[in-house]
Parts: sequence; C-alpha cells; structure tokens
Amino acid sequence: MSDKTNSTTRSGFDRRMFLAGAAGSAVVPLTARAAGPAPNAAAAPDPSLPVDVTLRVNGDSRLLTIDARTTVLDALREHIGLTGSKKGCDHGQCGACTVLIDDRRAISCLTLALAAEGRDITTVEGLAKGDKLHPMQQAFIEQDAFQCGYCTPGQIMSAIACVKEGHANSEADIREYMSGNICRCAAYPNIVAAVKQAAPEILKG
Amino acid sequence: MRSFTYQRVTDPSAAIQALAMAVANNNPPTEATAQPLAGGTTLIDLMKLDVMRPRTVVDINPLASTWSAINLDGGNLRLGALARMSDVAANPEIQRNYPVIADSLRLAASPQLRNMATLGGNVLQRTRCTYFRDISYANCNKRDPGSGCAALDGFNRMHAVLGTSEQCIATYPGDFAQALIALDATVEITGKSGVRNIPFAQLHKPPDDSPQIETTLAPGELISAFTVSGRWPRSVYLKARDRQSYEFALSSAAVALDVQDGVISDARVALGGLATVPWRAREAEALIKGQKFDEALAQRVADAALAGAQGRRHNAFKIALGKRVVARALHQAATMEI
Amino acid sequence: MSIAAPEPKANMGQPVPRYDAVAKVTGMAKYAADMPLANPAYAYLVTSAIAKGRIDSFELTEARNIRGVIDIVTHENAEKLKDVKLFSEGGYMSTTVQPLKSADVAHDGQIIAVVLADTFEAGREAAHRVKVNYRPATPSTTFDSPGTTSGPAKGQASRFKEDPKVGDFAKAFDEAEVKITASYETPTQHHNPMELFATSCVWTGDNLTIYEPSQYVYGLKNGVAAQLGIDADKVRVINYYVGGAFGSKGSTTPRTAIMASLARRLNRPVKLVPTRDQGFTIATYRAETRHQIQIGANRDGKLVALRHEGAEVSSRPDAYVVGGTKTTTRLYACPNVDSLVSIVHADRNTPGFMRSPPEVPYLFALESAMDELAVKLNMDPIELRRVNDTMKEPIGGKPYTSRSLMACFDEGARAFGWSQRSAAPKSMTDGDWLVGYGCATTCYPTQMAPAAARVRLQRDGRVRVEIAGHEIGNGAYTVIGQAAAEKLGVPFENVSVHIGDSDLPPAPVAGGSNSTASTCSAVMMVCDQIRQRLFRALMPNESVIDKAKETVGMGQTPVAESANSGRPLDREKAFDALGVSVVEEYGEWKPEDAPKDSFRAMQQGQVRIVGGSAMSDKIAYAFGAEFVEVRIDKWTHEIRIPRLVGAFAAGHIMNPRTARSQLMGGLIWGMSSALLEATELDPRYGRYVNDNLADYLLPVNADVQDVEVIMLSEQDDHINPAGVKGLGELANVGTNAAVCNAIFHATGQRIRKLPVRLENLEV
Repeated sequence: MSDKTNSTTRSGFDRRMFLAGAAGSAVVPLTARAAGPAPNAAAAPDPSLPVDVTLRVNGDSRLLTIDARTTVLDALREHIGLTGSKKGCDHGQCGACTVLIDDRRAISCLTLALAAEGRDITTVEGLAKGDKLHPMQQAFIEQDAFQCGYCTPGQIMSAIACVKEGHANSEADIREYMSGNICRCAAYPNIVAAVKQAAPEILKG
Repeated sequence: MRSFTYQRVTDPSAAIQALAMAVANNNPPTEATAQPLAGGTTLIDLMKLDVMRPRTVVDINPLASTWSAINLDGGNLRLGALARMSDVAANPEIQRNYPVIADSLRLAASPQLRNMATLGGNVLQRTRCTYFRDISYANCNKRDPGSGCAALDGFNRMHAVLGTSEQCIATYPGDFAQALIALDATVEITGKSGVRNIPFAQLHKPPDDSPQIETTLAPGELISAFTVSGRWPRSVYLKARDRQSYEFALSSAAVALDVQDGVISDARVALGGLATVPWRAREAEALIKGQKFDEALAQRVADAALAGAQGRRHNAFKIALGKRVVARALHQAATMEI
Repeated sequence: MSIAAPEPKANMGQPVPRYDAVAKVTGMAKYAADMPLANPAYAYLVTSAIAKGRIDSFELTEARNIRGVIDIVTHENAEKLKDVKLFSEGGYMSTTVQPLKSADVAHDGQIIAVVLADTFEAGREAAHRVKVNYRPATPSTTFDSPGTTSGPAKGQASRFKEDPKVGDFAKAFDEAEVKITASYETPTQHHNPMELFATSCVWTGDNLTIYEPSQYVYGLKNGVAAQLGIDADKVRVINYYVGGAFGSKGSTTPRTAIMASLARRLNRPVKLVPTRDQGFTIATYRAETRHQIQIGANRDGKLVALRHEGAEVSSRPDAYVVGGTKTTTRLYACPNVDSLVSIVHADRNTPGFMRSPPEVPYLFALESAMDELAVKLNMDPIELRRVNDTMKEPIGGKPYTSRSLMACFDEGARAFGWSQRSAAPKSMTDGDWLVGYGCATTCYPTQMAPAAARVRLQRDGRVRVEIAGHEIGNGAYTVIGQAAAEKLGVPFENVSVHIGDSDLPPAPVAGGSNSTASTCSAVMMVCDQIRQRLFRALMPNESVIDKAKETVGMGQTPVAESANSGRPLDREKAFDALGVSVVEEYGEWKPEDAPKDSFRAMQQGQVRIVGGSAMSDKIAYAFGAEFVEVRIDKWTHEIRIPRLVGAFAAGHIMNPRTARSQLMGGLIWGMSSALLEATELDPRYGRYVNDNLADYLLPVNADVQDVEVIMLSEQDDHINPAGVKGLGELANVGTNAAVCNAIFHATGQRIRKLPVRLENLEV
C-alpha cells in the first residue's frame, strides 16, 4: 500500500492546490484514484475508493494510497511501518498516539492523514540521531519513567512539547501538562523527574 | 465511520459553498451530510463511533489564516473561531483581562487536544452521554428522535440537572462556553447570506421536545468569531471533578464580577457540568448586584442558581455540589487580587 | 544512585537500567500489533448489545456490500471450535462461553460476529452496519438481581479448597469485650492496560504463529491448540513486550482461536485490534464483592474472634472465585476464626485475575475493620497491628518463613511522619483542605511455579538466556539478565535475554507475582549447572563440585556465593580445559512442594503454583505498611492524595530500580482503586456503561504527587533459590483501606464501599 518517496511527491499536493486556485474555487476535493487526476465535483467520485496522500514523517515524504478515513496513527502504523506511536483508545482519551505535527503535540488517532498532508509529522522514531538518544529519551531511561513501555512514545513526544511550550517550570506544571498521557503502570513521579532532568538541555537547544 | 469525500477549502466562501450541499434537506446541522472539520476532536471521534455520518468532510483549517486571530482592541475582545484552545489559554492578555476564559480553556481536555481543538468547534462539542455515543443503545432521542431516552432511568451520574426534559438529560460537556455565556459574548456566524451576530446565549437550544437540534445554527453556517465587550479581570472558572485533570466537569462555575468600592456593580454566573446547554444563572445574578460580598450572599446566590434543578438516581448530588461550586467561585472572584 | 535507582541495601541486586530501556524509548520495542505482517486481513469484532437472550437473525447485506469487506463470520458459518475447560479447572480458558458456536448470548459484549476486510476502516464500517435481530431476555446482573443463583465457593470451584476456620468463633465473639461488625463492598473493575487486546494469526502450512500480548505464552499456545484440535507443537506464540496486563492477559480468551480459525479459512494473516470498549467484555475483569467482617477483641486490642464472609460475582457457567479469606484469616494472631466465601452466578462474562485478585477486596474489608476497631479501642492503628502481629498463622499454626510487617510499619511511619497525626477525626486542616492520615497493612503471598531455562555461555563471556518469560513491565528481561550475569560472573551487558516466545523453554504465567521468583530460580539453577561443568573441568575435585552445588542461590547475593566457592571462576581456563567454545545447559526447576506432575504440566501450559498459605509446613508472604495523606476540599469535596508512603519487605530484591517502580505503581493503583475505578453497570440491560478511558477513570499525572517507596532489607532462605518473594501485586492491596482510613480521619465518616467519590462525603 505504501512506498517511500524522498523528494518529488510534493508535486501531487501542490498540483491539487494549484488546480483549485485555477478553477477559481477554493474547494479541493481530494480525488479518488480511480476518478483520474482532474477532479470533477459534479461527478461525485466514489468516496470509498482509496486516495493518494503524501505524508512528511520525520523529514521523509511518503506517498500513500489509502482509505480517506485513515488517521495519521493508522497511516503511520499500518501503512508506513512506524509502529512506535501506539493505539490505546483510538478516541483521544489516553495520549498513547501523541506525535508532533508542525512541532505541536497532537493526537494522531483523531487526525485524518489527509488533513495532515503538507505538515511535518515527528514520531518517536525521529528523535534519536543515530545511536545518540534525544535528551528526553535518555532521561526516561535514567529516571525509569516507564514499566511496560506502551505509553512511553506518547509520553516522550508529549514531554518534549511540554518543555518547549514552557510548561516544565515546576513539578506542579509538569504534572498538569503531562496529564494528557495516561500511564497505567503509573510511572508518573518518574516521568516528572525525567521531564525535569531533560528540560534544561532541551531548552539549551 | 462511513466513507466520505474529503475537501480542503482555503477561503470562507468556498467553505460555505461546500457545506451548502447539505442545506437542501431539513436535518439539523449535526446531521447535515457535509460537516466542517477543524480540530476534529469531536467530529472524528463521533464518526469513528458511527454517531455522525457525513458524506463530505470539509477541512476548514486553512481558514485559520483569517479566522484565528486574537484581538484585544479598545477594550473589546475578538476571538477567531479557528484559534486553538491552547493558544488562547496561553495568551497573557487573555489571562490578565479574562481569567475566566483562560482558565475555562486551560482546565479542559488535555494539552494535546487543546492544541488541536478550535474555539468554534469547542463550543459545538457534543454530549458525552454514553447512550448517545454508543449506537448499540436503541433509545436516544438525540440520535434517533422518538426512540426514547435510556439515560432517564439509566446510569446518569454525569447527566444534567438543569435544562432537562423528559426527552433528554444529556449534559453539555464544555467549559469555554460557560465563560462566553457569562460574559454575554456575541457569536459571529458566517453563512450563505453573509455574516450575522447573535448573543452566545442564543446559540444552544435546550432539548425540550427535540434534543436532536442542539443549536440555532442553520446547516451550512460556520461560527467565525466570538466577541466580548469590556474586560473582566475579576473572573474565575472553577471546575470540580473526580480526577485532577483531563476530565469533564462534574460541576463548574464561571463567575465574573465588577466591584466598585466594595459594591458588586455587575455579576455574571454560569454553570457547567450541570445543564443540557451552557447555563446562565440570571436570577441568581440579580441577587448580587448592588450588594457587598459576604459568604451568606454567596450561599443565597448559589441556592438561587440551582433553584430549578432536578436530580435523578445517580446525579442528584450535583445539586448540592453545584451550589458549593458556585459559592466557592463567587468567593474566589470576590477576593481575588487584580 | 538516584531516587529512581536506590542504593541497594543488604540482599539486594544492583539498580541497573532496564534491559529493554532503549527499545522502549525509541519506539523500537515491538508489541503484538506492531509485528509486520504480509498483506493482513483486518478483523473487526461485532459484540452483542444484549446481555442475555438469543440472536434471531443477522442482516448482513449492507455490511457485506462495503468495499473491502471480505467476509462476515457469525455462529451460522463459523468453524465450531472445541470446548476447553476454564483455566482454574484444569483447562486454559478465561471463560467456558465460546462465542460463534450458537445463537445464544450469555453476556454483554460477547463476540457475535467478525468482519474481515482488506482495511481496518472498511471492517469498522461494516461492523457498525451489521444489523442483529435479538430475542432478548432479562439479565440478572449482579448481587440482589432477581434470578441469580448463589452458593458456597467450596465444592464448586476446585481451586477453592477450604473456608478456613479454627476455634469457636461464635462463643468467642459473643464473649468479646469489644466488637466490630461491618459490611464492605468493592466494585467491578477493569484492568485497562494501555495496550489493546490485539491478536494476529499467521499460518505457514499447518504451523500457526500468534502475536498476542500474553502473560502466559505456553498457556495460550496450548489453549488455542486445544480449541483448534491441533498439536500444540504446531502453535507458536510470540510477544516480546506486553503493554501492560495486570492479569488480563493471563488466560486464553476466546478471541484468539477464532482469529486463528479465520486466518486458516482465508489463508491469509488476520490482524485484530479490538476497541477499548470491546476490551471490557472480551477479556476478564475484577468482579464486585461484598464482605461482612466481625471482630471481637480484648480491651488491650488482642483479637479473640474474627469472621470474614465474602461474596463474589461470577458468570452463569463458571465458578471463578478469588477467595481472599485464605489470607485474611491468617494475617493476625487470633484463636477463634471463621470464614465463608460464596459465589453469585449472574448473566456476566466470567471474571478473572486482576492485580492482587484475592487480597485487594478482602484486605480492603479486613484493614478497614481493623481501623474501625482501633477507633473503637481508642488505640493507634499501628499499635493494634503490633499487638496482633504473629510469626505463626493461626489456622494451621504454620510459621511464616519471614515476616517484617512491624518493621515496615516502623520505617513507614517514620518516613511519613505518622507521629504528627492528631488522633481525633476532623482534627487536621490546612486552609480549605480537610487533612487525614491513614494506614493499613499490605501483604501478598509468595508464590512460585516450575520453570525451565536454557543458558549458553561463550568463552568470551557472552551469555544467552532463553526462557519463555514475559515482559509486562515487571522488568523480566532485566532481572533474568541480572540473575545470569551475577551467577556467571559476567557484566550485565554481556547477557542477551530471550523471552516472550513459546518456542523457548517454558516459564509459568506471569501472574501471582511468581514471575521473578520462578524464572530467576530456574535461570540461576541452570547457570549453576554451567558453573559445575566449568569447575569440574578445572579441578576434578569432589569437594569443590559440592561447593559449587551449594551456591545455588538460597537468597545470598551471587557475589557472596562466588566467594564462598573458594575461588572465582577462571572462565577462559575452564573453557580451554574443556576444549569447547560454548557451554550450554537446559534445566527444569520446581519449587518445594510442587506436585509430581509439575514438569509435564509446565510443558502443557498448566501452572502448578505453590506458596502462600498452601505450603505443607510453612506460610510465605511479603508484607508492607502503607500510609496515605488525604486532602478533601471543604467546598467541592474533591478528594486528593498528595502523599503516599509504602514500606515493603519482599525478600531478595533483584533490582531496586525496577522493584521501586513496580511498588510505586502499585501504590498509585491502590489509590486509583479507592477513589476512581468502578465499571458501572446498567442493570436494566446488564451492560457496562463507562467502557472507555474518558469515563472509566484512571489517574493522570496530576493526581499523583509525592510517592515514597521504602524497601527493607529482608532475607528469606525458605522460599526459593532466588530468595525472592515477588512484589508486583504487593503494593496495591493495603492502599484501598489506607485511603478510606485516612478519609475517616479527615472527616469522621467511614466509607465502606469503593470507590469513594465526592458525593459520598458529607463534610
């Protein structure tokens, strides 16, 4: 279903935006593949046919042909093979699927892949530079900030954003601004310690 | 989730045009076959549950470039409907001049969800009633008019005690709307025939005999902005809940006071978690104006605010809780340093 | 060293970071649903909307017409799988209700159809479009529902062997100077591990591979094989990481064999990721319980009479029972004890283990009643426990192998500042907060089960350990690696640990807190076999070999053993003397008292757990003392817990870092159980209402503030070679009562029904 394209598939995205502009309308129906490249609003393409979408994940562009209903989370996991982001509830109630979209933490299970086209998605797989772990990853290890590890990718993505948002100035702040990520093993105090540990290094840049 | 056609629009008229497809039928906006997608935290959620079944999803996020501004000019506040909850909550001017707005946003949902959810979408978020959200329950007048209400005699701890009807007791779950209704905000609505403005209090409809109709929006209309006149530095949002964060209110209160020389010249009280719609306690407010604050007054106001409340098996506690929350919020607002 | 990695005390291993830490922080740890599959079909479950009745018909046309739908399987066209017994009755299953066999519906949310589709999205839509015409019957849902049946647990649940009693309770209670009679209730709860109950099945010829989070890969392998009627050797279960389990992934649930059957039928891998709400009904749960406690005591606090009567809910067909009286009747010195456990059969799914299954509800009742007694006696609750502390359990008079309960209370009280507590209820406030301090005893039986391991040592000091253990967040990779490293005298980094695969030597279910004790004892024994071979090569001298034999753990630190053996092992020399490059040993370990069929059962995925109160001449428990500061907002009555302190003694601690984390998590679990967690039933329909993570509340980060874990040094040479008591289920037991005891202290109000919600307080 998926294949990786590193450079040029952005043109598909641009083309659609261009067509929309050229038609004098800002309505952009993303076309079903079988309906051909030029959308015709009157023809009402079968919405159950797969659509093309290009996602930029951890700096790489990926062209996918997927069901329009696919969320960013399912696109990552089932179509791109990046399974670090986890499904814990599929309804925005647990935070396990947290990724960064344009550098803001977001719930990938409630974000349509189509709506994320043209935006930068960062997942837990995109944090380490080779063998060098991101300071938050390192802090999670040192503070034993997980047990089963299932919520951990979401916690780490959320924690990085928490620091960058300026919400890591006190333990109370960290607790509140890390409350969108449920940890059933309840590693919470260690998560707070990890955020505290990593914050200065992250803010230093 | 049913299949849908996804459209991305880049200007408001295109959005209205795309949504207009749905205007032909008589459905309430929530049932319209074209739905606007902003943060998606309600729409995608309910589509996954098969509760909402649009055939066209109109992604209006690109409109954020024009519809997400936060303006505080000349003592009035204008909030673009596509501003994200987190951005508004973090705005120092809002925090200073409208703490009730900042706190109602800050205490809602989670940081991730607040990053996604927009103000306009937030005020339109739909009830958390299980019998509504789970389509395997046959009786829900909101989902299927005339089918009955499973919540009346069901597990209704989270349900409403104000503004209910025999057709529906589903709670309006939002926080921000309580701040808006308290501050007499105006809703700017953009539709086919241009822009219209209504008082926020006229946006939502209590369930009465037609709980499926939740707002006075016409199909195809979009909320484009909220405006608030005046500044309300002496205002609070107090939210009581089982856990400390990331939970809907059991009971909340938005309170704004204007105190001149120790006398309360203006007072606004709105209640969350208790009612089927954003809820303004106007009779209670009337008791305050012209008075000096004391705890006895707070108690009388709280009693008045909940005067018409009707409890059921699991939610009767909300009446007493609601009173204590109102009294506490009044106390906080009256004694806060500004 | 840090708070997260405490300095080891005597009889503790090193707090090394987790073996699997890098994999878990980089997203590289592959959980079951992360395993790559070639062109899978996606399964989506349809579950029943009624709790009792029959399915008259399905209307499937609309669903079948969804693009991408491959097939919809119902009882009308599903393969009829074989009936297999309940895990606790000699079988494997979590329930004996096997879905898709008939039109009958036995409980809410039973699997009644499976959609198979090319995409997850198509499967979901089709599942929602499946129309079911039911003939519903009125369900009897819980206690007091008309139409349930009930009877004593003894005689219907084979694992529940006795209602412990001793002396003459009735007479002693009648004559007691001070008496307490009180009733308690605990709610339905669900484990809600963060990982969903995913299952993928892949056939290669007639070999089946299952990717599923499991606490018992051998049980699952054998259970599914039995249901499919195939040789268990054809089935392999792989799960390298389990995203939380807490008991929910211990027995074989019906979904797995269904998925295997469908994959075989399609000749294509099948991947199922059920929804969160489906997880409430396709796996197990902690059933609601009721208790009556009667305590008679002398004015000095000494217990003279104790009676504990418990009632539990189970399903219609199955007699699942936790029966915690085996613990509560033996916890304190008391000459006259009586008990009775009964089961109420309702129209529910069969319940199952959930973290500390017997102890959580039963100790909530006892430890609340003990606090009530302390109040009545006007006695400090810690002193009441001290007066009744005992080194011999009262029912059979067997000695505790070790028991550091009062040492835990003393250390915990010191750390908590118990002496600052003013005894009178409602006597402590802080601004708008009512403040209360409470404490309770916690305990959990020390349990072990047979386990096997294969260990390979290379001349260069690299080690490979193979055992079908389970990484559920318990630190299994880490402690197994540590056991081998310490025993073989190599750095931890040299050890590669292989677990979570039923092709490896069998380990027991990672349940009952037996995992570390059992797997580490087995690994240590096998490492010792290697040591013996090497020693024998170096010096064919009988006394040295005997010395090596003696070094099989027994609770001593391996470093000390090495010294005891007279000289450190010169590995390279030994290899050279043997003339080989690799030494590999396999061994099967079983605990004392394990039944004769232990090893055969182990290979067949059936656990023979021994320990706790069931040993022939002794009784083994880990103990702890738990302290809670509760704060109640005077205005809103919101209940918050700013401080939790637990002091624990659990024998040898393999790794103070992972142990502390588990105990900390347990304390928070207990707090959550006391204040937040209840699965609400709508009795009209017999259905769970709050079956999602927005309504079934788990604590979030902001609910947790200061949590202090104190691990006492304790050595116990009478339990297992590793000297380990197990602590995964120790910490969430006493907290339930400690919270309620603190609430009583803050408010003067005794809450006897969990969870405690703000509406229950009349401040």
